[in-house]
Amino acid sequence: MNDMTPLLEIKDVSKRFEYVEALKSVNLTIGRREVVALVGDNGAGKSTLVKIIAGLCQPTSGGLVVRGEPVRIGDVRDANALGIVSVFQGNELCENLNVAANLFLGRELRTGCGIRDENAMVVRARAVLDTLSSSIQVGRPVASLSVGQRRIIAIAKTLLSEPDLVVLDEPTDSLSVMQTAEVLEYTRRLRAEGRSVIMVCHDLPDVFAVADRIAVLRQGRIIAVHETCETSYEQILAEMAGIVDEDADGRGDESDGVPAGGAVGYRIRVGTSRRLIERRGEQSGLPV
Amino acid sequence: MSATTAAPAQTTKTGGLLATIANNARQYGIVGALLIIVVVFQILTGGVLLKPNSFVSLIQQNAYVIILAIGMVMVIIATHIDLSVGSLVAFIGGICALLMERQGVNWGLAILISLLVGLIVGVWQGFWVAYVGIPGFITTLAGMLIFRGLATVLVGESVPITSESFRGIARNYLPNVLGWWGPFDGLTIVLGVACIAAFAWSQLHKRIRAQRVGLVPEPMSLTVIKIVVAALAIGFVTYLLASSGNADQGGTPIMLVIVGVLVLIYNFILTKTVFGRHVYAVGGNRKAAELSGINTRRVDFTLFVHMGFLSAVAAVCMLSRLASATAQAGMEFEMDAIAACFIGGTAVTGGVGTIPGAVVGAFVMGVINQGLSIMGVDTAIVKTIKGLVLLGAVAVDIMSKRKKR
Repeated sequence: MNDMTPLLEIKDVSKRFEYVEALKSVNLTIGRREVVALVGDNGAGKSTLVKIIAGLCQPTSGGLVVRGEPVRIGDVRDANALGIVSVFQGNELCENLNVAANLFLGRELRTGCGIRDENAMVVRARAVLDTLSSSIQVGRPVASLSVGQRRIIAIAKTLLSEPDLVVLDEPTDSLSVMQTAEVLEYTRRLRAEGRSVIMVCHDLPDVFAVADRIAVLRQGRIIAVHETCETSYEQILAEMAGIVDEDADGRGDESDGVPAGGAVGYRIRVGTSRRLIERRGEQSGLPV
Repeated sequence: MSATTAAPAQTTKTGGLLATIANNARQYGIVGALLIIVVVFQILTGGVLLKPNSFVSLIQQNAYVIILAIGMVMVIIATHIDLSVGSLVAFIGGICALLMERQGVNWGLAILISLLVGLIVGVWQGFWVAYVGIPGFITTLAGMLIFRGLATVLVGESVPITSESFRGIARNYLPNVLGWWGPFDGLTIVLGVACIAAFAWSQLHKRIRAQRVGLVPEPMSLTVIKIVVAALAIGFVTYLLASSGNADQGGTPIMLVIVGVLVLIYNFILTKTVFGRHVYAVGGNRKAAELSGINTRRVDFTLFVHMGFLSAVAAVCMLSRLASATAQAGMEFEMDAIAACFIGGTAVTGGVGTIPGAVVGAFVMGVINQGLSIMGVDTAIVKTIKGLVLLGAVAVDIMSKRKKR
């Protein structure tokens, strides 16, 4: 497999619910080792898009291509099999189980014949939590954990399955400053380990803190994709609100963007930013 | 290593005998309640309740509730309910009786076919719940009507059982292979001692395992208390059983063996297997279970198949006990099984519950039943009292949870 093949290509994906067209011909490419943030106002279609990637709903038309192969992600298990795991806000954990049980939920270690290897899971769970600088005890019931700790557990779950792509839905929502920092640090770490991340996030400072690229959704369309280092809060906010189109933002000339297919009626700048060059350089061992 | 450093730090946080008991108040509370109820009825019945033969009939009369409660607790943990089990007892019992009495089928084969019918009915109900998405309440309410109706069509008035071997399942005891040791059945005493040893070993093994992986084991004093209490209880039951029976036979009733084996197998499935973990996960947070890649439909489906199987076992036991199939057999059994689960600490909202808890719940109901009937209390009043006990048990559970918050 060619290392330059994008990890995930979203091709012309539309999603129609009964009376609402939630996504309209969305195109987006997720490369390897990158954090892409999806931003947009409520109802812009962010959640629908990540649900399609996670296997929770099916596109009405269009499709997904993973590592160059067209795929159908029928459910969460299909997604997991393709190396895609998702963390959805508010629905992450089973309160009646302990931390270790939650971490391994759906991929329990076994001694054979469907019998769980509880010892191995406890030891491995502790090892993973230790790497997260977290003081959470693996034997504790999840019901006794704080919101932030739960989020950490939910995200730590992704570490166990060694995914290629992690989908995070509002990962920093309702977290304290310190907890947010920990989650963002964790997101960077996923990238450093060679994984890609798609995060839906309301909080622009968090987005700018970790994302390599920012895709702006509005009314079911992707209206712009920016390199984070080439854009600004103001521009993103304006695009989210639909105040500005690409010619009026005055930044068109600054980026060395080329038009790329995708958003109908808009131009998407896909820049080759310094940051991207740096990272590609690291990867290929070329001098930067 | 983190395992060794984590353990002492955690012990200080959770340790202490009283704290551990307080954390598991519900579990210990229900066992305590059962002991109190037993003592009260022992006094009220003038010591008749715990006479050996009366104790054996307590087990034989309540075996069906325990068997059904084993399946019901798993179904309720996964947030479903099964209202059809009583009708299934009549329906499958009817089939079993007809096979033996009208078709001349050997009783062993008839039992096998009955169990198979139970599995098929489980597949039928599981299909509607898991793959069509009809709530268990509705599916099994329909099943309750369907199978009661079919039982009436099949059985008509009644079908008496003539096979002595089949009738022996509910009446007979394990063979007296080790002879009589004084007034006691040797085999029963050996089994009792083995049970005590196995319980002690499992408790100590659990501690060692927890320590090995750096988890906090319960305080040693609690483990010792548990083993001592269990040894006393098992010892007393062994004494009762070993001295039970009549001139021909006595000791361990076959029904107790059937129930014991089912409890052990299903408790193992629920607490040690991946499937068991998934049952709790589905009950605790169905959405999270789905997002974790658990095939929740398959879990639901499998649960109803197990419930169908256990209903068939209960049907065979009940048929053997009554020695006659009737369309009215198993009336309200589903309610007894459901009540046993809730008295035994199963959460109304799902996700929480244990098979030993449900067994204790079944015994609470059974002892109340037996005690009141020995005292000659009217069955209508017995029903009322059972209803109040159920309400009280769940109320205590809910209020104690509210306090914790």
